[in-house]
Amino acid sequence: MALFTSAVYQNEFLPDGGTDVNAIVTIACSGAGAAGQTGSGDAGEIIIVDTSGSMGTANMQAAKQAAMVALDHILDGTYFAVVAGNHKAYLAYPMVQSGAGMVRMDARTRAEARRAISFFRSDGGTAMGNWLNLARALFDSIGNLAQKHAILLTDGENHNETPQQLDAAIRNSIGQFQVDCRGVGVDWKVPEIRSIAQALLGTVDIIPNPSQLGQAFAELMQKSMGRGVARADLRVWIPQGAQVLFVRQVSPTVEDLSTRGVPVNPLTMAYPTGSWGDEERDYHLQVRLPAKSVGQEQLAARVQLAVGTEVLTQGLVKAKWSSDTNLTAQINPEVAHYTGQTELAVAIQEGLAAKASGDERTATTKLGRAAQLAVRTGNAEATAKLRKVVDIDNAETGTVRLKRGVDKADEMALDTASTKTTRIRG
Amino acid sequence: MTNDHPDTSSRRTPGPPNPTPAPAPSLDPSSRRTPGSPDRNPTAQPDPSSRRAPGSPDPNPAWPLWATDQRAGELAQQQPQPDAQEFSTLALAAPCPRCLKPVRPDERYCENCGWDVHPEVGALPGPSDSSEATVKLNRPQQSRPACVECGGQVDSDGYCQTCGTKAPSPRDRFEASPADWVGGVCDRGVVHARNEDAMALWAAPGDERNAVLVVCDGVTSSQDSDVASLAAAERARDVLAASQPAGLAVTASHDAALDAALVDAAAQANAAVLATTAADSVNAASCTFAAAVVHGDRVHWASLGDSRIYVLGAESVQLSTDDSVAEELIRAGSSRHDAETGPQAHAITRWLGRDADDIVPRTGTHQVTGDSWLVVCSDGLWNYASEPSALAAQVATAAEPGGSPTQIAARLVKWANAQGGKDNVTVALARLTATLNEAAGADEAPATAVQPAPPIVEEKI
Repeated sequence: MALFTSAVYQNEFLPDGGTDVNAIVTIACSGAGAAGQTGSGDAGEIIIVDTSGSMGTANMQAAKQAAMVALDHILDGTYFAVVAGNHKAYLAYPMVQSGAGMVRMDARTRAEARRAISFFRSDGGTAMGNWLNLARALFDSIGNLAQKHAILLTDGENHNETPQQLDAAIRNSIGQFQVDCRGVGVDWKVPEIRSIAQALLGTVDIIPNPSQLGQAFAELMQKSMGRGVARADLRVWIPQGAQVLFVRQVSPTVEDLSTRGVPVNPLTMAYPTGSWGDEERDYHLQVRLPAKSVGQEQLAARVQLAVGTEVLTQGLVKAKWSSDTNLTAQINPEVAHYTGQTELAVAIQEGLAAKASGDERTATTKLGRAAQLAVRTGNAEATAKLRKVVDIDNAETGTVRLKRGVDKADEMALDTASTKTTRIRG
Repeated sequence: MTNDHPDTSSRRTPGPPNPTPAPAPSLDPSSRRTPGSPDRNPTAQPDPSSRRAPGSPDPNPAWPLWATDQRAGELAQQQPQPDAQEFSTLALAAPCPRCLKPVRPDERYCENCGWDVHPEVGALPGPSDSSEATVKLNRPQQSRPACVECGGQVDSDGYCQTCGTKAPSPRDRFEASPADWVGGVCDRGVVHARNEDAMALWAAPGDERNAVLVVCDGVTSSQDSDVASLAAAERARDVLAASQPAGLAVTASHDAALDAALVDAAAQANAAVLATTAADSVNAASCTFAAAVVHGDRVHWASLGDSRIYVLGAESVQLSTDDSVAEELIRAGSSRHDAETGPQAHAITRWLGRDADDIVPRTGTHQVTGDSWLVVCSDGLWNYASEPSALAAQVATAAEPGGSPTQIAARLVKWANAQGGKDNVTVALARLTATLNEAAGADEAPATAVQPAPPIVEEKI
């Protein structure tokens, strides 16, 4: 059984009349075990490979190899399927026409799936909503899978569906399964793919060179197979009369969870966090309370990690009103750090969006702010990636110049990495 | 909801939404069919994406197969799978939700009207992830007291489950109700981090109107005064409870015995304070001492420091006199208000503790003349109502809804906290009734009658 622990970082002292409490809650999981092997239910994996015409020969060949590598990392006994996607979605394996659309992994099914993948040929358009819809139906065809995860590889824009169709497919998949998305080459749209990954509790990254695909798929699948806790919720209790201003995951990546809450009871919301392996995640919570008089103490929030209805760990966020300004004026270092990292992610994304739309002035301002925050918060990865897109004249003041002739892949790498945060500790 | 639908594999769909001509991603276009499978050549069907309406789960969804070349077909035939029998069973299709025409299961759009009929399973699976029996961390625990703020349930983490108020620790707030006429509450108040007040109560079992009320207020500037004050109060209470004079001795001897017992109790309480303090402590724990013994209709009292003993009701008097700078200022001619709000208002001149010079308390005896309340309290209460008449008014208000002395004391504590709660608050109450008592004089009027005679108040320094 996985062990969850939590720690709370906050300045619990509020000034007289103060109402807003900030806290970083770290939740750590250990002993998670392997996906589908912990006795809490079966795991299912679907490999979705873009087989649209734009994949060409080289990318298609690399994608086939990568999909086969991914098969090697799916543990025996795990339900799996392989989907080929262009403007439609096809069940490439198992080769069944109805009924259960996934089979258990073993030596035979692995070999058959490899063979099915070997027939992939690039052709047609791109409609990722269809891919997601098929994946969802396939997962659902196996009664009660505890854990559902897909890898989605694409190389292009979602040309053959309206944004509304893709949105509907994403919406219908929320809470149903998780998707890690990878884009190969530079012809796909980061915001489009990010919207899939964020909603479906997965990651997004660029694979500039097809030769890196196999490695990327191996790592993704290993990571997924290492998530023995199928599904967990972050629960936030607040006192009567209080209000959650926001709940964000801030490490390893920034994800705003605020709108994803499902009420557990009138005072508690559950925010889905997907599956867990042995890892740590940090959450930033801001709660508004009715002010109490100086000297009073109260609980601002209980932050819990729950699997099913079982609460496995709990962190207490407190509020103490004090007239001592030495206590109340301090900003907790973790809160400050992640506030900066969240702003960094927004600044990078807005800056790149402005650059793409030709608004160089806004782009320069936003990316300048990003450079300032990246250096100040010690985010070396973001700083290095920013340097490939802008010349940083003065990181202190956030003065930058947009580089000319930037490699598109570098810009996309900056965009996909924008939500990755560094930790203040360790 | 399902219709039989013939396998009209030659049917072609105009395919409205997808402009991309898409040849089948297949190696061998000439043999694109598996047994029982419809033709799914996207070259001929630009986008026949077959869809089913959301919200209608299909127990046998049909899967658009990608690999339908001969080799794959052979593979499937050579190695029959558990699903093999379903190969030939074309799944029953749902009609188009818009035009109700039959839709082939492998089609994504209705052939008739173009409606999006993707085969998705609409029903959300229930939360079946957790198969094990679960235990709630936050299961309400019967033994926990209700929240002092809102009456909600206090969680095992020490905070209210409804309003989040921190439940006081047993030392921060405690109550005692030794008899239905004796009770008290000792509370941290609002501003102070610790409760250095202490309270210890005793009442004789049965109908005897004998009780002991002790309040000690730890001096904030000394170390561990919360431990010392509780030790002192409990020791004094035990000493006094054990020295209750029995039998029908004359009042004078009762008075003398209780007077001696009170002085002894102070000395023993002092010893208890010393026992909590290291001999080399540079800031030895210290506390005040206020004790009252109810014996029939007489109240015997003793005090050191500024915790007070009042009798409020039929008549309202402050029995004790503070050992404080404020009191000395009053004696020197200052007004009570000025003295009690001045800079040295809470500096006491006598106390219990290692650094105390004089631990012999002021003592006295009071004859109860009518229905009234004995109040033993710390300055956390009388700060907000010092004059006996003012405090009597608050006690009367607190007693108005009725209830036990403990409940009334709790209301007084709540009131003091509402005034700011700047100090720890302790209120111990005993309901006093003048009874016909041989020792007090059988010829006196009944307790409820107006008693013109002045109360007997003896004082000794």
